[in-house]
Amino acid sequence: MKEFETSPRHDEIRTGRAPDLYGRPVPMRQYAAHEMVDAVIIGTGAGGAPLMARLASAGLSVVALEAGRHWAPARDFATDEAAQMHLFWNDERLSAGGDPLWFGRNNSGTGVGGSTLHYTAYVPRVQHDDLRLHTEFGVGMDWPLAYDDLEPYYDELENSLGVSGPSPYPWGPPRRHAYPLAPLPLNGAAQLMERACATLDIRTSPAVNAAVSGSYFQAGMGWRPACKNCGFCQAGCNSGAKSSMDVTYVPVAIEAGAEVRSESFVTRLETDGAGRITGVVYTHGGDGVEYRQLCRTVFLCAGAIETPRLLLLNELANSSGQVGRNFMAHTGLQVWGQFEEDVRPYKGIPGGLISEDTHRPGDADFAGGYLLQSIGVMPVTYAAQVARGRGFWGERLREHMRGYNHTAGINILGECLPYEHNYVELSDETDARGLPKPRVHFTNGENERRLTAHAEKLMREIWTLAGAQDVWSFPRNAHIIGTARMGVDPETAVVNADGRAFDVPNLYICDNSIFPSALSCNPALTIMALSLRTADRFLKN
Amino acid sequence: MQSKHYPTGTVRALLETDMVTPQTRIALLERLNRETTAAPRFFDAAAYATLCAVCARLIPQPERPHPIDLAGAIDGRLAQKEGDGWRYDQMPPDGEAHRRGLLALDESAQLLFGGNFHELDEAQQDQLLLLVQRNEVSGGTWETIQASRFFEELLAGATESYYSHPLAQEEIGFVGMADAHGWQLIKLDELEAREPQALEDERERV
Repeated sequence: MKEFETSPRHDEIRTGRAPDLYGRPVPMRQYAAHEMVDAVIIGTGAGGAPLMARLASAGLSVVALEAGRHWAPARDFATDEAAQMHLFWNDERLSAGGDPLWFGRNNSGTGVGGSTLHYTAYVPRVQHDDLRLHTEFGVGMDWPLAYDDLEPYYDELENSLGVSGPSPYPWGPPRRHAYPLAPLPLNGAAQLMERACATLDIRTSPAVNAAVSGSYFQAGMGWRPACKNCGFCQAGCNSGAKSSMDVTYVPVAIEAGAEVRSESFVTRLETDGAGRITGVVYTHGGDGVEYRQLCRTVFLCAGAIETPRLLLLNELANSSGQVGRNFMAHTGLQVWGQFEEDVRPYKGIPGGLISEDTHRPGDADFAGGYLLQSIGVMPVTYAAQVARGRGFWGERLREHMRGYNHTAGINILGECLPYEHNYVELSDETDARGLPKPRVHFTNGENERRLTAHAEKLMREIWTLAGAQDVWSFPRNAHIIGTARMGVDPETAVVNADGRAFDVPNLYICDNSIFPSALSCNPALTIMALSLRTADRFLKN
Repeated sequence: MQSKHYPTGTVRALLETDMVTPQTRIALLERLNRETTAAPRFFDAAAYATLCAVCARLIPQPERPHPIDLAGAIDGRLAQKEGDGWRYDQMPPDGEAHRRGLLALDESAQLLFGGNFHELDEAQQDQLLLLVQRNEVSGGTWETIQASRFFEELLAGATESYYSHPLAQEEIGFVGMADAHGWQLIKLDELEAREPQALEDERERV
C-alpha cells in the first residue's frame, strides 16, 4: 500500500473545530486517517447531511468529505451576487446537446451544505402519482418505493428544518401534521400571480419554504432568527433563517461526533479483491497531496454529475451500464413581465406563491405535469437572462433594465423524462486536478416541448391578466437528476430501493442521481427524505 | 415599458450606513473604487483595443466621464482563470474563445469596412455586431468559432460585470444590498425609507 503524506496545511485545517453560523469555533471530533471508520460520506448537501446526522447519532464513527469550504454565513456571506459566486460548483462542465445546460449558479453548489447553500428552499412533497409515472402514462420509470415509504420522513423533515407553509395545504394527500411555522409573507410577484389566478379559477397558496417565518430552535446550534425577507436565498442566506444543511443537519451531526473535512476532493475509491470499498482517497486544499481514509461503508452523495463522474473514473458499480445514463433536468420555463406597480423583485422569499393545479392538467398532451410559482429575482441574474434570452444589448438593454424594479416572473417546475440521448460522460479534456471534465448531453424531448408549450400559454395568460407589459419567456431547465438510478432490477438500475449499489455491497448512493423519474416538483425535500430513509435502512441491516 | 430614472448616489450613501453588512460593504467598495485597467493581463494590446470597443457598444455609457470598466473585468477574469462552472461543448476554453472571437471580429471589420473594429464608427460597429449575434459572418477565424455563441458569452460577461457595479445598481434603483435589518414592507407599491423613488419628471419624459 502506498504511503500517504501528511502536510502541515492538512493538520492546520484539521483543528478539531468547525465554525458556527457566526464563525465561532465549535468542537469537532477528529478521526485518524488510519482509523477504520464506520462510514465515509462524500458530499454534505441534501443527500449527505441528513444521513450523516442519523448515522452519527446512532453512535457510528463518521467522516464527511466535502469539496468546498466550511463557511460561517453571518461572517462570510456578502449580499452581493458577484461576491457569492464561490457558493457554486465552478469546475468546468462541458454542456452538449440540443439544449445545453448552464451549470455554475444554475445547478450545483459547493461548500458544507452543498446546493442547499443556494437553493430557494422550495420544499413541496411529491404526490402519490409522481412515483408511478410508468404505471400512469406508460413512459419513464416507476419508483421502487411509494409515498407511504417517504411520508414519515417528510413529517420528520418539515419539523426539524422548520418549514413555513400553509395548513391545510391544498394539494396532495392529507397530512398528519400541520407545518410547524406559518407561511412567509407574500411579496409583489406573489400578489400579482395570486390575483390573476383567482380570476382564472386557478387555486394558489402561499408556498412551502424551508426558511423559518419565526425564530426557531435548532438542535445542535440554538435559535435561528426569522427570515428577514432579503430575497437573497439563491446567493446564500447570511442570517441562518434558510434551512440549508450547514445550519440544520450538519451541526447535529458534528455534535453527535461526526467529523466534517472541508476542502477535501475525492478522487478514488479503493476496493479489495472481493469488490468491497476499503478506503477513500482525496486531496485536501490545492497542493495535490493525496490522503486516504479507511472505512467500512461509503455513502456517495455528490450530486447527479459528480456522483457518476467518480463512479466512471473508478469503473465502479456499473455492470448495468447505467451510470451516467438517464440524465434529466426539470422543465423550468420562466415568464417575465413589467408592471405599472412598484414590485421591487429583490424583496421577500423569491418563490412566494405556488399552484399545483397543473400537477396533472386535464387537457394535457404529455406525461406528468408541473407546478407554478411566482418568482422574484436579483438584478445580475435577471440582466444575464435578458442578455442571453432576448439578445438585448446597447441602450435597449439599459432601457429594459431601468424597469427592473417593476419586474416580476412566474416559473414552472415540471416533469422531464429519461432518454437515451441524455447522459453524462467523461471527456478527453482534463481539469486542474488532471481529472477528465464531465460532458453533459441534454436535449428536451417531445414530452418536455409539449409540457412547456402548455405551460407557456397558461403563464402568458396569467401574466397578461395580472397587467404585465412586454411579456417574454425564458426557456430553461433546472436541477440535475437521474444518473445512477434506483430500481429493482440490477440490469437496468445502479442502486436498490435502499440506495445500495447492486455491484458494491458497501457503497450507498444518496442524492438526486438515484431518482428514477424527475418528479413534477422540486427535489430537495425528497432527497433529504431518501437520505434519512437510506440511513435507517442501513442501520437496520 | 416601465423604464425609470432614479436619483444618483443612493447605493453610495447606503454603503456608509449600518444597513449594509461589513462583508457586503467590502465587496461593493472594492468594485466601486477599482481603477480602470491600464494594461491588460490576459489579452495583447490589439485584442484589448477591440474588446474595449466592443464593450462600449454592448453597454454604451455616454453619460459617464469614467465608464464602468467592463473590458478590464473580462480581462481580469480570464487572467485569473475564474470559471463559472460550464461552457458550451462546441466552444473552445473561455480564454481561447475570446481570443479567436476578437480576432475574427477584426477580420470581418477589415473585410467589410477596411479597418479594425475599434477604428469603425458606431453605426458600422453596431452593424457588424448584429451580424455576429445573428451568426451571419463566416470565413477566416470564424470557421473555428461559432459567432453567435461567442457573442452571447461576451454579452453575458459584460452585462454581469456592469450590473454588479454599484453605479449601475443606482441607475436601476436597486438597493437590495442594504439588507442588514431586513425588509418589512414587501408588498406591491410598498417602499421603505431607504428605497429610492423613480424621478417624477423623468417618468413624464419616458
